[in-house]
Amino acid sequence: MPRGAYLMSLGLVPYGEAFALQRSLAGAVAQGAIPETVIFLEHPPVVTVGRRTETGELHIPEDAEVEIAETDRGGKSTFHGPGQLVCYPILDLTKHGKDVKLYVRNLEEALIRTLSAFELGGERSEGLTGVWMTRPPRKIASIGVHVSHWVTTHGYALNVDLDPAPFTKWITACGLEDAAFTTMARELGRPITVEEVRPAAIAAIAEVFGLELDELPADEGAGAGIWSQPIHASLAAR
Amino acid sequence: MNEKLEASAGLYEEAAKELVLAARHCEVAAQHFRDNLVPRGAAHAWAARGHLLEAETRLDEQAREHSRRSSV
Repeated sequence: MPRGAYLMSLGLVPYGEAFALQRSLAGAVAQGAIPETVIFLEHPPVVTVGRRTETGELHIPEDAEVEIAETDRGGKSTFHGPGQLVCYPILDLTKHGKDVKLYVRNLEEALIRTLSAFELGGERSEGLTGVWMTRPPRKIASIGVHVSHWVTTHGYALNVDLDPAPFTKWITACGLEDAAFTTMARELGRPITVEEVRPAAIAAIAEVFGLELDELPADEGAGAGIWSQPIHASLAAR
Repeated sequence: MNEKLEASAGLYEEAAKELVLAARHCEVAAQHFRDNLVPRGAAHAWAARGHLLEAETRLDEQAREHSRRSSV
């Protein structure tokens, strides 16, 4: 039976704000103050540096308008920008198999199903994380996660429609020399928006992790900031 | 300093840190609601609530300890 979880579609959010928000929400999920939460957003241009980033991976031109942010996720450097759908699931892995490798495989599965909704055949690549289009291999989605007390932060970034040049020109993304990067727009041969892809991404995450997602209202009933949210009400009543 | 008092001081410092974080999220939430960015405001509101509960847990812990040691 699916479990209730929050869904937050936050639009364009600076990396630092999203990072602080994730950590705080993870604390709230860990203590059962709020249900598990899945965040979808886009970032303004930012290069993020993970725990395994090596010197020499960054070769950002001096005139590039991009922020550089350090993070606590696994993996190496990557690029985020508008036109990329970013998903940060804040899940309690004790409810999802208590297995970080399985969690990453499940994120890949959600990405593969999202791409499949657009008749794109994304695949895993042996020994690597993320999702790839193949023959020749080109990376379409990256994954980087952090797990603390079995609660997850960070997640995946799916290239929907953006210039993939920063992945190779500004950084050696994910530490992969000579790797090619692609986007859904490039594969489909037509423009496509993050808004168009998000419903399929939401459905895939819900299906793979067995979640019933309760979306925060976009503009109605905000009042003073706290309004009736069925899942939250049941938690508060405990 | 007495070990018990040091432990109490530590608990209150942890509670204070949580309250500072809660206050920051409340301020950001207020700004987002003013800018009509409702989901972003709500996200920060829930984050604030988490920190408040964490602070409350620390203070409750201290209250329980006080109660346990009180002879009155």
